[in-house]
Amino acid sequence: MGLTGGLVPPVIAATGFGGERAMDELAVIASVLYQFGTNAAFLLLCALGLIVILGMMNIINLAHGELMMLGAYTATIAYQRGMPFWLSVVCAFVAVGIFGAILERLVVRRFYGRELGALVVTWGISLILAQGTLVLLGPFMPAIPIPGGNFAVGQYSFSGYWIGMIVVCAALIAALWWLYNRTEIGLHARATMQNATMARALGVNTDRIYMLTFSLGAGLAGMSGALLAPTTSIQPFMGQQFVAPAFITVVVGGAANVIAGALSSSLLLSLVKTPVGFLVGAFWGTVVLLLAALIIIRLIPDGISAAIQRWLERGARVR
Amino acid sequence: MTDENKKADDVTEQPAARSSQTPGPGLKRRDLLRNVGVGSVAAGLGSATYLQGLNLGRMRAMAQDTGPVKIGFIEDESGNLAVYGLQKLHAAQLAVKEINEGKTLKGDANIGAGMVGVLGKVAANPPVISKEGTALDVVNDGGAQDKADLVFDEDDDILIDSGEQGVLGREVELVSADGQSNNAVWQQLARRMIQQDQVDVLVAGFASAEREAIRPIVDQFSQLYFYTNQYEGGVADANTFCTGPVCEQQVIPTVQYMVENFGPNCYTIAADYNFGQLTAAWTRAFIPLVGGNIVGEEFIPLSVSEFSQVIARIQQTNPDWVMTLLVGQNHHNYYPQAAAAGLKYPMASTVNMAQGYEHKRFPPPSMANMHNAIQYQMEVPTGRNRAFVQRWMEMFPEDQYIGEMAQNTYFTIHLYAKAARLAHTTDQETVRRALELGWGIEAPEGSVFLEPGTHHCAHPIRLAYCDEQHNVSFLRDWPMIQAWWLQRLGVNLIRNPEYKQYVPDEDPYFSFV
Amino acid sequence: MRILELIGGNEDIGRGPLFWLPFALVVAAFLAAPAWLTEFEAYNISFYLLNIPMALGLCLLWGYCGVLSFGQVAYFGIAGYTYGIVAGNLVGLSWGPLAGSLAGLAAAAAVAAVFGYFVFYARVQMWIVPILTLVLTLLLETFLGQTAGYQWRVGSVQLGGYNGMTGIPSFQLGSHVFFGFSFFYYVLVLVLACYLGCRMLVNASWGKVLLAIREDALRTEILGYDIRFRQWATFVLAAVLAGVSGLLYVQWGNYITPTQVGLLQAALPVIWVAVGGRDKLLAVIFGTYALNWLNYSLSSQGNQYALVIIGGLLVAVMLFFPRGIVVSIAEFLSPRRRRSA
Repeated sequence: MGLTGGLVPPVIAATGFGGERAMDELAVIASVLYQFGTNAAFLLLCALGLIVILGMMNIINLAHGELMMLGAYTATIAYQRGMPFWLSVVCAFVAVGIFGAILERLVVRRFYGRELGALVVTWGISLILAQGTLVLLGPFMPAIPIPGGNFAVGQYSFSGYWIGMIVVCAALIAALWWLYNRTEIGLHARATMQNATMARALGVNTDRIYMLTFSLGAGLAGMSGALLAPTTSIQPFMGQQFVAPAFITVVVGGAANVIAGALSSSLLLSLVKTPVGFLVGAFWGTVVLLLAALIIIRLIPDGISAAIQRWLERGARVR
Repeated sequence: MTDENKKADDVTEQPAARSSQTPGPGLKRRDLLRNVGVGSVAAGLGSATYLQGLNLGRMRAMAQDTGPVKIGFIEDESGNLAVYGLQKLHAAQLAVKEINEGKTLKGDANIGAGMVGVLGKVAANPPVISKEGTALDVVNDGGAQDKADLVFDEDDDILIDSGEQGVLGREVELVSADGQSNNAVWQQLARRMIQQDQVDVLVAGFASAEREAIRPIVDQFSQLYFYTNQYEGGVADANTFCTGPVCEQQVIPTVQYMVENFGPNCYTIAADYNFGQLTAAWTRAFIPLVGGNIVGEEFIPLSVSEFSQVIARIQQTNPDWVMTLLVGQNHHNYYPQAAAAGLKYPMASTVNMAQGYEHKRFPPPSMANMHNAIQYQMEVPTGRNRAFVQRWMEMFPEDQYIGEMAQNTYFTIHLYAKAARLAHTTDQETVRRALELGWGIEAPEGSVFLEPGTHHCAHPIRLAYCDEQHNVSFLRDWPMIQAWWLQRLGVNLIRNPEYKQYVPDEDPYFSFV
Repeated sequence: MRILELIGGNEDIGRGPLFWLPFALVVAAFLAAPAWLTEFEAYNISFYLLNIPMALGLCLLWGYCGVLSFGQVAYFGIAGYTYGIVAGNLVGLSWGPLAGSLAGLAAAAAVAAVFGYFVFYARVQMWIVPILTLVLTLLLETFLGQTAGYQWRVGSVQLGGYNGMTGIPSFQLGSHVFFGFSFFYYVLVLVLACYLGCRMLVNASWGKVLLAIREDALRTEILGYDIRFRQWATFVLAAVLAGVSGLLYVQWGNYITPTQVGLLQAALPVIWVAVGGRDKLLAVIFGTYALNWLNYSLSSQGNQYALVIIGGLLVAVMLFFPRGIVVSIAEFLSPRRRRSA
């Protein structure tokens, strides 16, 4: 085929010492687990904001990448002004969330029920945001240095920051679960997702729920952008690199259950991508990811979360 | 290449205005053909009239004897590659301003390559230039100057009076357009510049894809074209002059230095497109000749921005040093990610640091221990470069960096002005012949020589090194490295005009082992 | 006469002499191009025109059948690359470009047939189709993008990766090479043929069934129509039309890169169709032509705000003309016209 990635066999020290061999194997396992975790975390962060909006309003937000870009810029500027990093991330969440609320009020709400019109409008918004940032802030901005050090296991070293990100992702998932399942607003939101008319009839202020959901989705996108900002270069079109992974993760996950969808999809896709990427190369990792997405969508058209939901319901019915 | 069939006897209509073929310096009029063949409308599809009437392929872009000298300039001022395009635009603007004010760079036709060397006293180490600001402050002067070695003659002032304002008494005008990092737009803009604006010379192109998009158009209209960027080499095109460095000038010195100093095992990570593939091929072909070997190679799609798997594979293979040939915004993320993961291997590149100034954009120590053989980087501590940087910063005080390709654009435009002056015309065919005399020109990087037969430049090369604090020093100098590969292929565009790009596989001697 | 009847039908904007007369005048003006256009301007207009078949295909698929495909550019690219490979290998033979064109269309149709089979016969939900087609496009771009090495060649033609495939031969019939004004006429005639053909299609019974599918697929199926087949066939037809645009593009610029099938390019046909008015063929023609013209005009003037303006235009159009500018205007001009949805 012409790919010179080649197959790199895992290096196992061929010494006679059992202890060293075990250590090397442990290091390889640690490395693979680490890669799996970082791939999943990356996909999850890309997809979270998008899936919240999609799950509630069935709107495909093509400006998602640019919202992440805005979050990254906000965090970078805040950090440059002297704010500690974690505070800049929170700042990005709040700022982009507010921006999302404004956007929803002004533009997006006219497109509920018209998903394809929403597509075009959000594309237009993404153009304005990206080019506007270029005009206003120039082509580049110095990046935030990656916080956290690194530690070594065997001959592999790992970045503390990515470990931290995996933890943050877990915390985010937990927080979202708590929000949707243990608060009143979450209850209203789930009701609106299930049947908006009925919910409105029962007194739920669906307009406010929509606005809050879009705001939350935008805020999450901003936060993801801020978290990913130290690992990437800050420039107006940086959102583009997140759009494809975000979409694929969202579509594979499905919108039936926001949290289950995002989590299961990012884990599954990372499970597919990690071994291939590790053994063969980054290119084949990407190809396998896309092929897996195609196959999963073909087999389970409305996403994994819907399949999980069905399986749970079947289980409940049997009992 | 487009087939152009011209049948001389198929003319049913003579176009209104025909240029006279009278020779004479600078007095040929441009062939402005407007077709009034209404009668051919019905048979429009089958009519060869238009082809004949427009006489493409033989169309000579002809100079106007009055009016400004137009330099067509296309770069990406927005989009993905804007960080490089804006620098080059500023370089062009600076050069045009200097020419219009009556200045030129030292240099003449038919002077051969090389710099004068004398014996002198040097310091043990090269000076280290600070990464802060643009004043080229010396952080560490390298020690006492007590070692005897060969030094190169430097003159402080390479900008001299040209004896006139502008070129041939006419003002130079920069006609610039934004390619938006979009190849379709590049094509349209190239056509507009050539057909509508009728520029006297075209200076354009950053990425190889952009150059290849417009080169067929350039050839169709026999437009004089300068490509000022570093690239993978091999363009043998009678209309094109490539003034940027090529693989044999950058890859080979880098690899030689790295193998000598760090060990034979190299792991290559490259952008997965032509430039990355071909440069990696050069690395692979050359490294056995200095006793090294490639222990791993990975080509990364341009859309990948998350590198933990790549980093893990490098760690697993444990090479002596890493060759990074990464291009584009997504790929630049590798450096901070690798630094955060604790990757401590010495790095070598031919693309990073000098163009996109990563050592200033990323916080230390992302680019620590990076080596790059380049012909120019803003931190070159010579007198002529300090003067150049100062002139630039006076005109563009907001700029953060002057990259490799920006400097190439600068001296290329001055070179064009000199060639046009020698030719006493801006007629493109004549200027091309003037350029093919072979030119030695003094650029901020050093002495550059434009080789007649290959249309490429011989450059002085330096090995740039970026330390833990991202300060820069130059560890080794090669006063002149030729672009010899096309010569080995037998390319002589004066005797044998060609219009193609050679790839290493067409060279039977490319790989010796 | 059946043909004239079909062309004159009312599933598209405009009927009767009030429409056809201005239409004929516009076409005549284009035909008289050399009188009032420079070759350079004609060349640019050729570019605006050659995107129209792809937009027409998407209009058929989306506007009339209700299936949104984000991946039309994939077929654009497949046809273009196939033409480049076949015609490039047959260079020197006068029938080479013709063979290449047919091969390009066949390749686009074949891929669409296979892909469409998996999509439509699986009864995938309609809102998944845009994503699936987008993923296909991304896969194609990823694949094409890594074909930079010299080993990636078919015959004597290199695929070229992100440098693109260069030196693609222009179209020629016999010994005449289509270039400049003759290429302009070639494009014009082809686009007219595509438009009139599509118009005939939507006015025929096939078009009515498509509309029925768009309105309510289940009901149409219950009425006995094989909706899978019709959706599949329309999908293939749209792919062939996109392939026509792809062929014309490489014959126009003699060059193609993987970015032509990338994410940014994929959204463009959708934008053109949405702005013009997705359920009327003529509207789509206006939308495509106007947006391409606008993009070029802004970018060629070096306008930094080009993308901002276009983005703003998109937002404004969707807010105030949700059915598309041209469709809204047409409906405004003829309030007695039956609204088709």
